[in-house]
Amino acid sequence: MPLGPFGIDPVIWAPLRLVIAVLLVVGLVFNGALAQIYLERKIQAIIQDRLGPLHTGPWGLLQTFADAIKLLGKEDIRARLTDKWFFLAAPSIVFSPMLASYVVIPFAPGIVGADLNVGLLYMTTLGSMTVLGIVIAGWASNNKYSLIGGLRSAGQLISYEVPQILSLVTVVLVVGTLSMVGIAESQPGWQLNVLVLPLAFVTYFIAGLAETNRAPFDLPEAESELVAGFLTEYSGMRWAIFFLAEYGEVTVVSSIVTTLWFGAWHGPFVEVFPLIGVLWFTLKTYLFVLVFMWIRATLPRLRIDQLMSLCWKVLIPLTLTNLVITATLLLVFPSTVVPVAIANWLLLAAFVVLLPYVQRRRLVALRERLRTAA
Amino acid sequence: MLDLIEPALFAVLTIAIVAAGAGVVLANRITTSALLMAFTFLNIAGMFVLLGAETVAMFQVLIYVGAITVLILYGVMFTPQSPRPYGLFFQTQKYWAALLVVPIAIIVALIAFSFRDSATVGAKGGDLLPLATSVFRDFAFPFEVASVLLLAAMVGAIVLVKRDED
Repeated sequence: MPLGPFGIDPVIWAPLRLVIAVLLVVGLVFNGALAQIYLERKIQAIIQDRLGPLHTGPWGLLQTFADAIKLLGKEDIRARLTDKWFFLAAPSIVFSPMLASYVVIPFAPGIVGADLNVGLLYMTTLGSMTVLGIVIAGWASNNKYSLIGGLRSAGQLISYEVPQILSLVTVVLVVGTLSMVGIAESQPGWQLNVLVLPLAFVTYFIAGLAETNRAPFDLPEAESELVAGFLTEYSGMRWAIFFLAEYGEVTVVSSIVTTLWFGAWHGPFVEVFPLIGVLWFTLKTYLFVLVFMWIRATLPRLRIDQLMSLCWKVLIPLTLTNLVITATLLLVFPSTVVPVAIANWLLLAAFVVLLPYVQRRRLVALRERLRTAA
Repeated sequence: MLDLIEPALFAVLTIAIVAAGAGVVLANRITTSALLMAFTFLNIAGMFVLLGAETVAMFQVLIYVGAITVLILYGVMFTPQSPRPYGLFFQTQKYWAALLVVPIAIIVALIAFSFRDSATVGAKGGDLLPLATSVFRDFAFPFEVASVLLLAAMVGAIVLVKRDED
């Protein structure tokens, strides 16, 4: 009789492994969301010169736990004129793709749910499914504001998927694999992809902010103009599931950034103790989660037309140019990535320097047009 | 026992595809149909995974669930919610539909039952590399023609919906 790991029959081990993995990921998402909400409150407080949660537990650490228990205990309310099945299904449709993307995240050498050879494609695919749930939530709520939130979300997520995937493709061209483990293994030591492809990193990060509905791109749930958009009619645990999904999504985007551009688990002592990779991976991922929060506390929300013009007039041409240049340079110099790196850094510099200039010229032109119209 | 998993998954996916496909046609509400369509697409992606074509499965979900269904829902959302029941119903033109469907069904059944030996599929036929080679090398010209066609359709759509600046 063949023996699997830990001397367990493989027939039992396969489903057991599945259960353990799913439980681990659910624990990771729930605790991650609790930690992130605490971090979010504290960091915004620090940036806005406040104290943040303080009284529940030491340093207010138990505040989010209290909130979670409150949400669990709340009455499950559904307005009478909402569409019953769609209203109930929407949180699950948003939550489950996010949960499924954890399968391919490489936490440490050997610690990965499944090393799919199309891992990166799998993650973008699941990311694109979230919008389905948000659109349905907006429609099922039978509320004008929710509907507008859902419509905005559909437009925003479909638009920003394009620069997101184009940025990812650039990395795949350089690395030559779609497997998350393969991408992680391709960047040992200091050979991080961010040194080769900084522009792809920046464009992916912007698109990732939009994909996760985070500020400054949180138009679908803008509380000041849409009374929280598609979330308006939700309360209690259903509302909390949307938020769990959002924070889980932030973690997923951060771990994609970590894996693709910052060497995943690579760090000191990983060769000696592979488990330390989990620590490095978590630290790097949470660094980007903190950047998400920093941006939320710093930047005001965009208007819907600004959002769309940023995507279609700036990001998509930029990522397309980047893709064409990278592909050409890789064909011309198949053995080295140095030309790609130089081109990418130059493009990034041009992007950073020229964007404010172009924006100012557009604003001047707009004011001119308004003045002549008036 | 592990050998039983694949047929069992196949059975579940088949039932889900047929049931959800029937639901798309029979459901009384257009949003329900759209969502059931997404469910059908997901199950078809599961079929591709069973066949060892993970890449095709991913593209199936990315394009059909992530983009096309969302666009359909986008249009459907402008329809108001109505208090109609979810109950299945048959369209009023069922006799005409039967007249049209029965001959096609006979042909499809004949073709389906004429398969005796399963076609030999190359190992990892749906993998990324064979897929890329066939699209970008072996069938590059038809691929480009299709791209031009889509581009023309897109430009046409933009021209049609563009309002005059006034």
